[in-house]
Amino acid sequence: MNVTQLADRLRNDENFMQNVVRWEVQPAREARTVPFPDSLDARLLPVLQKRGIHQLYTHQAHSIEATLRGEDTVIVTPTASGKTMCYNLPVLSAILRDPDARALYLFPTKALSADQVSELYEMIGDLGVDIKTCTYDGDTPSAARKAVRQAGHIVVTNPDMLHSGILPHHTKWVKLFENLKYIVVDEIHTYRGVFGSNLANVLRRLTRLCEFYGSRPQYILCSATIANPAELASTLTGRPVTLIDDNGAPMGERHFVFYNPPVVNRQLGIREGCIPVTRSISGMLLKNGIRAITFARSRLTVEVLTKYLKDMVRDPLGNAGRVRGYRGGYLPTERREIEHGLRYGEVDAVVSTNALELGVDIGSLDACVLCGYPGTIAAAWQQAGRAGRRRSTSIVFFIASSSALDQYIVNHPDYFLRQSPENALLNPDNLYILLNHFKCAAFELPFRDDEDFGNAPSPGELLEYLSEQNILHHVGGKYHWSAEDFPASEISLRSATSENFVIIDITDPARHRVIGEMDRFTAPMLLHENAIYMHEAKLYQVEKLDFDACKAYIRQTEAGYYTDADLNVSLSLLDIAEEKPVPGGGVCALGEVKVTALVTMFKKIRFDTHETLGFGPVRLPETDMHTTAMWWTLPDELCASFTGDALKNGMLGVANLLRIVCPLYLMCAPQDIAVQYQVRSPITDKPTVIIYDNCPGGIGLSDKAFGMRSLLLEKALQIVTDCTCECGCPSCAGPAGEIGTNGKQAAIRILRELTKDEPAR
Amino acid sequence: MNLRDKLRAIDASPPRKPAPSAEVQRTDCRCTSEIRPVSDFPGFGELNRETLMLMQPDCIPDCFDPYRILYMDTETTGLGGSGSVAFLVGVGRMGENGFEIRQYLMRDYPEEPYLLEHVAEDFGRFDLLCTFNGRSFDVPLLESRFRMNRMNPAPLRLPHLDLLYPARRLWKLRLGHCTLGDLEARVLGIPRTGDLPGSEVPQRYFSYLKTGQLCMLDDVLTHNAQDIATLCVLLCRMAHFYRHPEELCHQEDTFSMGRALEKTGHHTEARRCYRLAEHGRVGGKASGALARSWRRAGETEEAVKIWQRMIETRKGGVTPYIELAKYHEHRTGDLETALDLTRRAMILLYEPALYAEGSVQDTENALKYRYDRLKRKIAQKE
Repeated sequence: MNVTQLADRLRNDENFMQNVVRWEVQPAREARTVPFPDSLDARLLPVLQKRGIHQLYTHQAHSIEATLRGEDTVIVTPTASGKTMCYNLPVLSAILRDPDARALYLFPTKALSADQVSELYEMIGDLGVDIKTCTYDGDTPSAARKAVRQAGHIVVTNPDMLHSGILPHHTKWVKLFENLKYIVVDEIHTYRGVFGSNLANVLRRLTRLCEFYGSRPQYILCSATIANPAELASTLTGRPVTLIDDNGAPMGERHFVFYNPPVVNRQLGIREGCIPVTRSISGMLLKNGIRAITFARSRLTVEVLTKYLKDMVRDPLGNAGRVRGYRGGYLPTERREIEHGLRYGEVDAVVSTNALELGVDIGSLDACVLCGYPGTIAAAWQQAGRAGRRRSTSIVFFIASSSALDQYIVNHPDYFLRQSPENALLNPDNLYILLNHFKCAAFELPFRDDEDFGNAPSPGELLEYLSEQNILHHVGGKYHWSAEDFPASEISLRSATSENFVIIDITDPARHRVIGEMDRFTAPMLLHENAIYMHEAKLYQVEKLDFDACKAYIRQTEAGYYTDADLNVSLSLLDIAEEKPVPGGGVCALGEVKVTALVTMFKKIRFDTHETLGFGPVRLPETDMHTTAMWWTLPDELCASFTGDALKNGMLGVANLLRIVCPLYLMCAPQDIAVQYQVRSPITDKPTVIIYDNCPGGIGLSDKAFGMRSLLLEKALQIVTDCTCECGCPSCAGPAGEIGTNGKQAAIRILRELTKDEPAR
Repeated sequence: MNLRDKLRAIDASPPRKPAPSAEVQRTDCRCTSEIRPVSDFPGFGELNRETLMLMQPDCIPDCFDPYRILYMDTETTGLGGSGSVAFLVGVGRMGENGFEIRQYLMRDYPEEPYLLEHVAEDFGRFDLLCTFNGRSFDVPLLESRFRMNRMNPAPLRLPHLDLLYPARRLWKLRLGHCTLGDLEARVLGIPRTGDLPGSEVPQRYFSYLKTGQLCMLDDVLTHNAQDIATLCVLLCRMAHFYRHPEELCHQEDTFSMGRALEKTGHHTEARRCYRLAEHGRVGGKASGALARSWRRAGETEEAVKIWQRMIETRKGGVTPYIELAKYHEHRTGDLETALDLTRRAMILLYEPALYAEGSVQDTENALKYRYDRLKRKIAQKE
């Protein structure tokens, strides 16, 4: 059965259609092409023609022209629109004309660089010239490194390697730095938050070294669709950047099905779970031979769904290789094997976290199932883009969970279909991050007294501080690195902490083997002792978590349940930056806080029925984070007017509402921002609702929330008053089981009071 | 909270005392020199091109002159990367009046260019550079410093004899690891007392920068001068042993010398060393190596004699059995004898003292395979 037939059948299926909120069909789009720009080196044309390319899509031609005019560019087009041409062609053209010219390619992951390099190799092979393209990353053998440093025309690497392997050793890369003409950064939409703030500083360091060696490279950047590509590009590079977004690539017809599982308990507002629904829809696709990818939000869900789908197609020997799971934490070789299987049609169904969202080439799939809203519009489009490439019809199912954000999206499909995707925010001047990169930069090259670091604020003060700490030594008008350490090795670009936990399978006592790894912040949640850890749908129980050595020992098990840990978060005040009065006598403030996270217990949840079987304790140290926050303290009079647990329930309701509203109006991913409430806050000593940036140092979300605080409260009030439920449901203030029967009304009163005098902007 | 307080709040390290900022404009780095008597360098007179060619043939210049070797060692603020600085460069050379050691010290960062100029000038005057681990550490680091100061690093590319590699070949078997300190104590017999451990050198320099008291670097200067003197002593000593392997007092070293010579293609000299080592603790290995060397040279009969002697004196474990079995299977065609030797080797393999665990399995499999094949061949013949 093909996709069109399946779509017809489903549209005639009443049972199915009664849960479909919206069936949107995006018509196919024709290609728009133009001839090759004259500025391109003519030797490239026969090579392109040999590959069946006789014209360029409009966005390709425009970006190449802009680049060859000397502008820094950012290209924004969806998956499979041929954006690699936008950088490969000008780079090859430049090297053909000047064999000394060099280019640096940055990809966020090693897998992506492997993909792109193979394409480049083919083109260079057809050109029949000696242009050396080399990958330089952790996997590059040390024997080959010297050759790459001296002779590589195009050096392909990732930000981490640039940060710790290339920049601190720049004197070994003289040829590259002296002749660097282009810096290509692909998938820049992934560089938001901490990673992006770090990359912006790595690029500041790179530019600084290029100046030292007398080169001024141009940037060619590529991004998937986000709201602010030009802004992101210029924040990353510190330069104005030309935006190219006139996508000329063709696109097949695409069906977008918004599916809201039926309500099973109207009073409590509880719907059928999104996992069982996904199980049946993905299962239906699998049975009908439609190759599909299913995206789930957590690693846990991925494993549960993989198990269900595998069970459907197991052969008598128990093998089910046509169905694969894919997520962070699998070893690279295993991931490559799955990608290969997808590309060559050996895998029919894959269940993945957002790990497959990035541009890894997995060929074209016919269908995509989103088990729950991935959190941002940008991510949803990225994931949906995995199905259907240039010509064929494809179908995307969005299955809403009962979470409020999902319900908002499924009930407002137009918001999703018409709203521009999120902003990618980053803050290169986050003090934590900036300070780290000042160290690295000083290590790489002494700072002159009057020197700027990109457009970082008050470089002089930071340098003076570091010299007081005796990390720098100020003499002769320069700040010299004067410490023994190698600063880049202590700084991880991707998270606040650098250590990862390794996961060791000890089922076979004679052969312990490492089957995966996990970052420090997630490990307490998923790898605590007695946790059920799932890997490719096999169940393991964690026997021991060695927190200091960063090792988890697991053993295969046949448990009929999985586990889910509870995270406890507490907050304390570091600094207040700004305070504003709140109507009725409260205060709204912006400042810095310390967030302490602690996992205290876990639940055992039975497969299939998803009922809770029991609880267990977790004994692990807490993790600390300093970040920016904004908060409201409630007026005393208002608080005094509540009796019993009404205040607590009302505040919980407000927090739940803000969790829905914040990602929508701050245009960020839900996990980037956290909302907490404290009936008696150690920060203010009063009942307080707190919003904070969920990453060390913050990326500017709290500042933004502080600026639009009235709007956030207005929108929260609107959602809760518009909701028709009796006393709270998952789509507004939270189910009554959580916030009590008085929670919804209390939340409304609190919000009314806080928005009383100040009209929304 | 102002920026400074914020920095303090997020930074775990406690504030430290600021450095005094008494800046002095200088136009040179600190240069000192000392001369040590030739008698401190026994065997210097013996140094010649032929001996050094035995040691490291790839780097010895055609017009070799022992007075045109530059000995060099640096003291640095870190282990590499462009933020590590060579704050002290010591060089040594043998002259008419003795061994002269010069030390160039940058008293602060602005003096670095002067220091590097001295280094470039000195390098230009010599034909051969002699260091210990300079190939992968000191020279690349200096090259990086030249680049950082926009100076041409070409003078650094002198023919380079890095003693680490020949020293490892000679002494690793006995000593396990080969730092300059190990060699001084256990080869040259002149252990240092009160020496500053290399790992403490950077901290000393940073303390000096903070206080400006040059005496804090006395230990570093002494340590560096001693390293340079040791380079020359070691070179003379190694050259002497290459000419007179019989004077090596440890059988392990003599055996290692044989292997080193064999590697550089000096087979006659190598066999001499193996023979010298045949009666000591590594006798089995030495005999095995000697026989192998004969066999490779095509002198199979010599090799056979040695293997037979090894079996008689119960040396070398199963090796001589296997080698003789091969010889009989493939050369003489005496399959019965080959089978017998293989069988005896298999029995011997289970004498527990013979082999460490792990290596047994492969040998056992190989023996079994040979045993079965010989059986088949014999059966075919019949």
